[in-house]
Amino acid sequence: MTDYRYIGKSITRIDGREKISGAAVYTDDIDFGANLLYAEIVSSTVAHALILNIDTSEAEKLEGVVKVFTGKDFPYKFGLYMKDRYIFAQDKVRFYGEQVAAVVARTPQIAKMGAELVKVEYQELPAVLDQMEALAEGATILHPDLGDYPHVPWFFPKPGTNVAHWRKTRRGDLENGFAEADHIYEETYEVPRYAHCAIETHVAIGKFDYSGRLTVWSSSQSPHTQRNLFAEALAPMGLSQKDIRVITPHVGGGFGGKAGVTMEILPAALATKLRGYAVKLRWTREQEFINTYQRLGVVAKLKLGVKKDGTITALDHKIYWDAGAYVEYGANVVNAVGLSAIGPYRIPNVSIDSVCIYTNLPPGGAYRGFGYSEMLFGLESHITTIARQIGMDEIEFRRKNAILEGDKTAYGAAMNPNGLLEAIDKVTKAIEWDKEYKSTDPNKVIGKGFSLFWKAPAMPPNASSSAFLKFNEDASINLIISGMDIGQGYQTVMAQIAAEVLGVDPSKIRVETPDTDRNPYEWQTVASHITWSSGNAVKKAAIDARDQILALVERVYHMSQDSLYLEDEAVKCHNQASFNLPLRSFVVEGIATKDGSYRGGPINGRGMFMPEFSSASGDPDTSQGGHPNVHYTVGAGALILEIDKDTGKMKVLKAAEAIDAGKALNPDLIKGQITGGLLQGLATVLYEDMRYDDKGRLLNPNFTDYKIPTAMDVPDEIIPIIIEVPQPDGPYGARGVGEHTMLPAAPMIANAVENALGIRIRSMPITAEKVAMAYKKHREQ
Amino acid sequence: MAFSHSFEYFRPGTLAEALSLLDQYKGDARLLAGGTDLAVHIKENMATPPVVIDVKRVTDFPGSRVSPKALYLNASTTFSDIVNHADLRKAYPMLWEAARSVASVGIRNRATLAGNICSAVPSLDVAPALLCYDAIVHVASSSGTREISIHDWFISPRKTACLGTEIMLGISITAPAVKHSGIYLKQGRYRGEDLAQAGLGVLITSDLQYRLAYCAVGPIPFRARAIEAVLNGKVLTAELISSAKAMVQDTVHPITDIRSSKEYRLHICEVMLERGLKAVEQRLNGAEFDSAEILGG
Repeated sequence: MTDYRYIGKSITRIDGREKISGAAVYTDDIDFGANLLYAEIVSSTVAHALILNIDTSEAEKLEGVVKVFTGKDFPYKFGLYMKDRYIFAQDKVRFYGEQVAAVVARTPQIAKMGAELVKVEYQELPAVLDQMEALAEGATILHPDLGDYPHVPWFFPKPGTNVAHWRKTRRGDLENGFAEADHIYEETYEVPRYAHCAIETHVAIGKFDYSGRLTVWSSSQSPHTQRNLFAEALAPMGLSQKDIRVITPHVGGGFGGKAGVTMEILPAALATKLRGYAVKLRWTREQEFINTYQRLGVVAKLKLGVKKDGTITALDHKIYWDAGAYVEYGANVVNAVGLSAIGPYRIPNVSIDSVCIYTNLPPGGAYRGFGYSEMLFGLESHITTIARQIGMDEIEFRRKNAILEGDKTAYGAAMNPNGLLEAIDKVTKAIEWDKEYKSTDPNKVIGKGFSLFWKAPAMPPNASSSAFLKFNEDASINLIISGMDIGQGYQTVMAQIAAEVLGVDPSKIRVETPDTDRNPYEWQTVASHITWSSGNAVKKAAIDARDQILALVERVYHMSQDSLYLEDEAVKCHNQASFNLPLRSFVVEGIATKDGSYRGGPINGRGMFMPEFSSASGDPDTSQGGHPNVHYTVGAGALILEIDKDTGKMKVLKAAEAIDAGKALNPDLIKGQITGGLLQGLATVLYEDMRYDDKGRLLNPNFTDYKIPTAMDVPDEIIPIIIEVPQPDGPYGARGVGEHTMLPAAPMIANAVENALGIRIRSMPITAEKVAMAYKKHREQ
Repeated sequence: MAFSHSFEYFRPGTLAEALSLLDQYKGDARLLAGGTDLAVHIKENMATPPVVIDVKRVTDFPGSRVSPKALYLNASTTFSDIVNHADLRKAYPMLWEAARSVASVGIRNRATLAGNICSAVPSLDVAPALLCYDAIVHVASSSGTREISIHDWFISPRKTACLGTEIMLGISITAPAVKHSGIYLKQGRYRGEDLAQAGLGVLITSDLQYRLAYCAVGPIPFRARAIEAVLNGKVLTAELISSAKAMVQDTVHPITDIRSSKEYRLHICEVMLERGLKAVEQRLNGAEFDSAEILGG
């Protein structure tokens, strides 16, 4: 095992002091002076309607209102994977809360008063609030022009229907596979929509100055993607990428909700019509719930065939996604799961249909887990049940079918190296799976739940990262990159990678938040791919800088580069122990020679990474042939759940989760991810639930009735386990873990409830109420 | 946080000033104590009062007094004041537990008991305690003071017997003359702060008198007197608890809302009754425990 100086060490976060002390600047903290205007959005009050008229006259008369805008001012489309959205609604609104107009005023209060004076006349259309209804014959079509929407080549919309994309994956012979099975089990599982609930709501400020430059400050996971989407949308106004600058200060939580572009397009567009002013838009908590991305709702129909010995012979997995009114990002969630709905299992005969369906609910989009949580709730519930049905231990069943290196994925590519079996074994041991757990309280019972998980980054095959690295006079370093630290510790880990290559302590490396003018390209901080992708780019930039240093030393001192290495901020030599050239003596100023002239100059490294082996061009009818996913990260989790039989109240007494990080660059940060991710996952299964009325209006756009856990709701004990089977193309063998940590939570709870009470709950969330009422019914029968 | 609603704001320093403002603006004024309810309602345009009278600086509310025999809490009393009062906790555990279950620390530091009672929401956590202890609400107007029994206080959701020209001065409680104990059970959706799906206060005395009051399972909090009548004078037995539980379906009339279904509320009311009776009896006999765990956390 290689001995690393900084890699694999739990270095304290380099942004920790700044954030804890309050020094960190967030988007809303920036002072824009007297020329700052405030926008307030007029939102749709119906789920589906034609806009007949918008009367802005009263709002325009209000003193302090600068200007009122509607869809007529911005007839431009945008979208990440499919251009199906407008900046403001045009002739139609498609969800309750959609942006219809904006009032820009001198103060937030006047803007809000103005917005209340805008009168919108609607002619209501039938609203389609359920994806299965949207699929039915004769359903109202949300997007009659679907056939005209530009989209990425790996999407397959069905114009004339509400199907925005249909990912089909076929492998082996399904019929034959079920014929071989001794036992077949079919069931349907349902998962509602969820909200990210980042502490910091969305906020963005646009400013279009007289030099023709549009600057947008935004709380975002995706500065470069935002710039690109703004440029595409605003191209008719003569703006190009070079004219647009996106600055993304610290972010108060993302979880996928701040990926791509949602409300940020509004202040960006409004600013272009108010030259010289800065225009700010900040979502309230209610707007945050209603008009950003939401996690998609799911109905999953599963059919699994197994032999008596537990071998899985066939899987038919049909997943119907409630993707909302616009699917420009959400359709890729559907795509990702459509390629991966076998879970971490070796299954020879597979059919997956992952169907992206328009509904008159808010747009679905990226949410930590990118569809895998929803898919795994059904699959891992199903696995536990079918193991029990054939009389096999569920862990043995999982071990037997676990996907191993070289096994074929659903789309036919070979599975990457992974430690799934090790994860299963370590979790089983840590949770003491074979131990008899029994409550001393007669009102309570204890159950055990197990689940495997896997996930691959979902990204275009050419998603790439780049990095700049500048040495300063004292051999300190500015690392200039464009990923976002959304809590995961990105900045710290990138500093560790550069530190390892260059022999400079991470405390001497400063990583700043991005500015697209100055920082090099990064696709987005999503998909748990940033440690892997940006890490590779940073490593290459550091190696580039090191190569420059060693080449310079070779040129000046005539020493072989092979004999040189970097350590303790100095160049050292394997063959000459006395040689010690401090970096600070030359990385900016160069090396002085005898005649008083200098060699070298400022050392600046550059690195880039793109997964050149990736391809999304599989067969549209089978998904065979491409290599859409760069790799999968796998793991296992188990928990011990105490349940009050009468109230249904649940408490996780102990949870263990093992994840194969490839190489844990910073173990403490991964343990933090396991704790945080598990808690977020537990919240989605135990408490959270977006509830809509029959008009498509969200009933709980607040923390009074949308419950996210408090410190009091944290499990008593969480055992984080790190597995390290290296990812061959990862920086020091690392692969991503961020999203994965929440994936096993829901099926673990469902399985533990069944284990304890003998009832199987197939719809999320599994609240105390649902458990109590199901158990009451069960007892009465 | 922008308010689109504009209002006139007054911050009187004395009760007399506050009452004179109330008279001046008649039904147009809303009183603001902690503001944790009113400010949110104004922000969301659920309340649009032309005038807001902030009574936080009123210094001459009669002073609070707490003794094992009687208690008076004035209108300035915050929930944190109650939670941090050791004597109150000991003498009136039901009231203390209810206060502790209201919202979170930050809100409790600000929100007042008086404002809470005046909000008169069906899920009012302190209502079962006040109903069980037969509390008196003291109010003042420019023409004098009057006392209103807590049993006459709640009219309908968000409506009380307090008139628009009156200010609540405080509440008083006289403890039962014999040894007694109480408990408040609250069912919420998780361990963190929540509005009650159902709440139950139980008071027991050494001479086997029982008082029961529910909240969040009807339009107003109420005493379950029919069940009390079945229990009074009897020692708790499994059979007695069973017959009490059997009456719950006819006693509480909850609705289905976003927090709970009607069916779950009914079910929980039965569970609460059984566990609440058993727990309060133990407490009367000196047992010490955290009531938050009784329903499973």
